[in-house]
Amino acid sequence: MSKKIKETVRTLLVEGKIRGFLGLIERDGHVMPHLFGDPQELEHLSLGDHGRAGDARYPLNQILIQLMRAYPEETFAVLVRGCDERGLRELFKWQQLREEKVIPIGLGCPEELARACECEKPFPDNLLDGPKGEKVEGQKVARVNAMDIDARLRFWKAEFDRCIKCLGCRNICPMCFCKECTLEEANLIDSGEIPPANPTFHLVRAIHMVGRCIDCGLCEEACPADIPLRTLYKKVAEIVSEEFGYKTGYTVDEKSPFNIIEVK
Amino acid sequence: MTNSIEEIESADCILIFGSNTSIAHPLIATRVFRAKARGAKVIVADPRKIPIVLQSDLHLQHRLGTDVALINGLMHIILKNGWERKAFISERTENLEEFRKVVEKYSPDRVSEITGVPVKDLETAAQYYAKAERGSILYTMGITQHTTGVDNVKSLANLSMLTGNIGRESTGVNPLRGQNNVQGACDMGGLPNVYSGYQPVTDQAVRQKFEEAWRAELSARVGLTATEMFPAALEGRVKAMVILGENPVLSDADSHHVEKALEALDFLLVIDIFNTPTSDLAHVVLAGASFAEKEGTFTNTERRVQMVRKAIEPPGDARVDWRIIQELSNRLGYSMDYDSPRAVMEEIARVTPSYAGIRYDRLQGDGLQWPCPSTDHPGTKFLHQGKFTRGKGLFSAIEYKPPAEVADEAYPFQLTTGRIHVHYHTGTMTRNSPSLEREVNECLLEINPEDARELGIGEGDRVLVSSRRGSVSTRVKLTETEKRGTVFMPFHFFESRANILTNPMFDPVAKIPEFKVCAVKIEKMETGSAR
Amino acid sequence: MEFKTVLTTCPYCGCGCGLLLEILDGRLIGTLPSKTSPVNQGRLCVKGWSVHEFVTSPNRLIRPLVRKADRLVESSWDEALDLSARRLKEIKERHGPDSIAVLTSAKCTNEENYLLQKLTRAAIGTNNIDHCARL
Repeated sequence: MSKKIKETVRTLLVEGKIRGFLGLIERDGHVMPHLFGDPQELEHLSLGDHGRAGDARYPLNQILIQLMRAYPEETFAVLVRGCDERGLRELFKWQQLREEKVIPIGLGCPEELARACECEKPFPDNLLDGPKGEKVEGQKVARVNAMDIDARLRFWKAEFDRCIKCLGCRNICPMCFCKECTLEEANLIDSGEIPPANPTFHLVRAIHMVGRCIDCGLCEEACPADIPLRTLYKKVAEIVSEEFGYKTGYTVDEKSPFNIIEVK
Repeated sequence: MTNSIEEIESADCILIFGSNTSIAHPLIATRVFRAKARGAKVIVADPRKIPIVLQSDLHLQHRLGTDVALINGLMHIILKNGWERKAFISERTENLEEFRKVVEKYSPDRVSEITGVPVKDLETAAQYYAKAERGSILYTMGITQHTTGVDNVKSLANLSMLTGNIGRESTGVNPLRGQNNVQGACDMGGLPNVYSGYQPVTDQAVRQKFEEAWRAELSARVGLTATEMFPAALEGRVKAMVILGENPVLSDADSHHVEKALEALDFLLVIDIFNTPTSDLAHVVLAGASFAEKEGTFTNTERRVQMVRKAIEPPGDARVDWRIIQELSNRLGYSMDYDSPRAVMEEIARVTPSYAGIRYDRLQGDGLQWPCPSTDHPGTKFLHQGKFTRGKGLFSAIEYKPPAEVADEAYPFQLTTGRIHVHYHTGTMTRNSPSLEREVNECLLEINPEDARELGIGEGDRVLVSSRRGSVSTRVKLTETEKRGTVFMPFHFFESRANILTNPMFDPVAKIPEFKVCAVKIEKMETGSAR
Repeated sequence: MEFKTVLTTCPYCGCGCGLLLEILDGRLIGTLPSKTSPVNQGRLCVKGWSVHEFVTSPNRLIRPLVRKADRLVESSWDEALDLSARRLKEIKERHGPDSIAVLTSAKCTNEENYLLQKLTRAAIGTNNIDHCARL
């Protein structure tokens, strides 16, 4: 367990710089999100490794949004990996979080996890502990790209056929903060159908991941049908990068071509 | 389940029989998807073209209620080809010859005629399952909710024994239990013939043990099943009922009959977290607590005892149910003085051999699967390893019997009932969940488009569905999920109570009603004549 | 201020998925799948994802109800429990213990089911207890 992280958080708490640290706690043999308010609790801090590296990660930024809605004047620290840091940047731009109220506690991912994720940047710039890993070249998108267009559609439709419409991909997504969700729009997606409209349902969600998806992979991990959602959204990111030159969450100031909210 | 949920992933053939797995047990469907991705053969035997059929190698779309014929047909083919596991049969089973005499009568042609399944598909299915190294059977109420429910289950047991697909990892006969703690309610003696751990009330030594443990005189007479309680109430033999967290007005067959029975009672006490059509008939309603507001344990379908942890306080003056029961008992003059659910579990472990090793301290982490006979026992992943509970596995010779009520001229369609993905049982919980209610907020009768066309019914039209027991108004959905002659209704909706229509005729042994088949007629209603 | 997640077991079907209830200042604000539970390994179905909705529904029963002049009206716990016990005792004395029948619940905990069958058998004196296993 990271001493550096514990000590940094303890100091922030003791000095009253933060109201709490949103991280993970290990309790009763399980890992779960927790707001650490008392330095004593840090004894049970977890970094989200249970059976394998990073297999017990949770959408902490999503919880942070809820905390900051309830306590807009408080400052919180939050555990972030490379993907979470990209998420924070976009959430600042979308005005879902206030940058001056968030202290990121950065954790780099081990090579094993970076490889499993095919992560382009498996560490946050605000790196407090853990490795500053290398970019991993992706194979999954390349494999789909190698298919001709008909085979590609057949591949995705067969994957989407398993969908049970649990909405877990949306529910766990730290970047899905809309009050109204297009997936519930009856004019686009018939309700009550399993599998939901194929491929419309998943393509609607994929389009809405433009400029949002920070490639954390929580959606794929939450999918009861093991649909390779991460590959789908990585492809979306590839298109946005090629067509618009925008890479989600990599810059602090530049907004995605789809973020039209003006900061006043 | 004889085996565990995770084991399904490693099966080589999965036979899904009367289970709408991806709708009713989605996280078990996950394991089926994974097995399929590994190359397992998936066979779905179901009268409806349910979503998991899309993931199957073969769909046996047999007629409602022809399960025994279908299974006998598969076994006939297995025996004819010599695909049975002879070593397993001679070592671990008995009565094969009697059984063979009956199965011999179920030739593929005859079975195809009864079930409507093509001979070729029968042969393919028999081959897939019998030749699999690890064959797993999953079933639910599509097997049990018939007047031949016990015959159906025994037939699946025959099939697994014949092919040696039991008592090993990733095999077995696996009932997927429909309610979060229906396994636990059975384990705890919520049944009229047994105390906790299936210890018979008619066994004198067992009764004596409980009389000593509970310091009370106990009845040796087997009690009434749920399906017998309502007729008994109408006949005046039952005068009072206590109903904890159930809604029989919606959930039981022949709903009008249940309502009349409850109205005939001198006293009805209901404990629930919401008002329901059942609590509406009560003399007293006590406000209980939801799972989020109390501590305790649930036992899942793979016999895994897991912790339920208190997260919040009950709303208003609502109280946790174990305290309500304790206070009622004390007022009835029988003292209960538990300080916590943990103390109750300690007593359960003392009197229940299969739970003897279960302690709250041991349930953190992954929980424990019973049988767990001692505090150093790790729990049991799969049953019947090396030996069956009764010693040798008994082959039962079972003849096919048609459902109690089949379609005829007056009632030309066969109705079957079940769940849809966003709702659950009588909807008490799901219909109070806005996001689920937004997805589907009304009953839709599913009918084959050809049948609808002949009746002059279009998508969304309102119809009156009638059986010999009553009529229900509902809108329709045209879908290829149903084959011609069969219609489907979910039973979640009080506005269109499917169980007004269902047949209360029950299996003579298990006393389970035939929810899955009854005969109905369908008439288009004029706009505005909804009732 | 307090935010925590509480690991518990889903109240819907028999799978027994582990889920985390998100609690902010004593209020239930959301549900997450437990990544470390053996059954569901970080996944849930649509019903599991929404359990916080029915728990926090304004339609929940919050106090006992007693039938008076053919209407169910709110009462105190003492009144409701005393009335229930009195009526059950009267009926038992008049018609015998087998004139009372109990439905226990596949939605309730093992401990509650155990206690209710004990009440039925030891306090009332009948084996008339069953639940919806067949439904």
